[in-house]
Amino acid sequence: MCSTAFQGLGRAQAKALGYADLPIAVIPHPFGIRTRDEVRTLAAECVGNIATLLCQPRTSTAKSARTPQSARAELIEVPDDLMELNQLFVNNHWSDGLPIIPPTAERVEAMLHGTTLARDTVVASIAPAFRAATVERIAINAVMAGCHPDYLPLLIAAAKAVSVPSFNLRGLQATTNPAAVWLIVNGPIAQKLGINGAGNCLGPGNWANATLGRGLRLILQNIGGGLPGELDKATHGQPGKYQFCCAENEAENPWEPLHVERGFAREASTVTVAGVLGTWNMNTHAKDAADLLRVIGDTMAFPCSSDYVHGGAPWLMLSPEHAHLLKREGLSKLDVKRRLWETSKLSAQRLAAKDFGRVQSGRRDDLGELTPETMLPITTKPEDINLLVAGGDGTHSVYLPVSGNSHSATVEITH
Amino acid sequence: MTHPLRVYNPAAAPDTQAASLGRALDNLRGKTVGFIDNAKPNFQFLVEDLEAQLIGRYGVKAVRKHRKPGQVPVKPEVLQQFAEECDAVITGSGD
Repeated sequence: MCSTAFQGLGRAQAKALGYADLPIAVIPHPFGIRTRDEVRTLAAECVGNIATLLCQPRTSTAKSARTPQSARAELIEVPDDLMELNQLFVNNHWSDGLPIIPPTAERVEAMLHGTTLARDTVVASIAPAFRAATVERIAINAVMAGCHPDYLPLLIAAAKAVSVPSFNLRGLQATTNPAAVWLIVNGPIAQKLGINGAGNCLGPGNWANATLGRGLRLILQNIGGGLPGELDKATHGQPGKYQFCCAENEAENPWEPLHVERGFAREASTVTVAGVLGTWNMNTHAKDAADLLRVIGDTMAFPCSSDYVHGGAPWLMLSPEHAHLLKREGLSKLDVKRRLWETSKLSAQRLAAKDFGRVQSGRRDDLGELTPETMLPITTKPEDINLLVAGGDGTHSVYLPVSGNSHSATVEITH
Repeated sequence: MTHPLRVYNPAAAPDTQAASLGRALDNLRGKTVGFIDNAKPNFQFLVEDLEAQLIGRYGVKAVRKHRKPGQVPVKPEVLQQFAEECDAVITGSGD
């Protein structure tokens, strides 16, 4: 069952999973804001259609199971005029709307020299269309984004990372939330490729940040099927869906870097993916840890946050100045997480009535029955709050809420 | 007129191998119908009302209901249980 606004998504999702003729009962949109009596009337109106669909003969005769398709990409003839070629890519929904580098056979061959993996290797199956991300297809999209060949192993690792089940890419790609996939790079590869983790690390002006983030976006769209207006149902989207990539500022991080915290060797290079809803700047001249953690926690606690509904996994990108202030007072990363877990608790009575029900439903396992007096923790446990140290000089840190039920994933960059 | 250029199609091929749907029911009398609630607002009320209608008007024997956490797939053990107990399963998708 889908509401009218989500009928296209339902049909596209069913088709992507191999059930093109799945019967779908449609009810009028918007549905969630209707009164109890209106829902009762709607049920009486639509039950006949549901009964008919359940008993309607199927048209499909297909019997085979789905398997990832790894067929080679096809070469096609396109105009060599750059503007005409780009218009063709936009018309075919192969572009993000910005000019692309034409993925000629020569450029793709050169890109493939960046990895030791065979071009037919299936790296992952990318949701929500669950199509095969072969090394070749990743390379084609990397060329289009403007990546250099030595970036390819990072994108291969990113394709693996977004496919980790707890990352919940199918939810991130199809949601109405403005969910963007943030690429965080750790280890020596960040310096080798020139990925910026210092001042303006999420801003413009750096080729590696811009093209790596864009390369992943094109993979999510052209392989995963996350096309705006089709499987991507974002109400607004956000600029981070064009590209969203930075390194951790390990040189200025007073604690262990993210990849070491997650069990990787310091000399390993990793990519972490996080499904974030935006960046919220927190400018504070707080001069002690208690004051700083109080105002950051207070900023995290807003009643329309998705994190409180599902018991999320939000991110804080601490500036070096804020991180050093906390470290000087003897706090470890885990200490900071524990303190923020307390200072970011949200009073359940601040929620909209409907959202109170969503939180109750989504978090019954870890919170039990809610009352208006319940103080909601932002995550199931303090360790689920994520910390990164990045950025340049200044008294700014950044809060990045996370789309529902998505936990970041870290994968080592190897090939 | 410009000369053509040869480039790769960047989109992965659609999966052309379709899976088969279960056989349609002859009628609903005496059948068990499952609902997987996607936890969106109001869907649990719609399911309650459809349960009453399907039993009262169409002779459905029983309705099984499961409310999953939002935005994540249903657990495999729940799917298995529904597959064993239900003649047909209806799920909500989207808002």
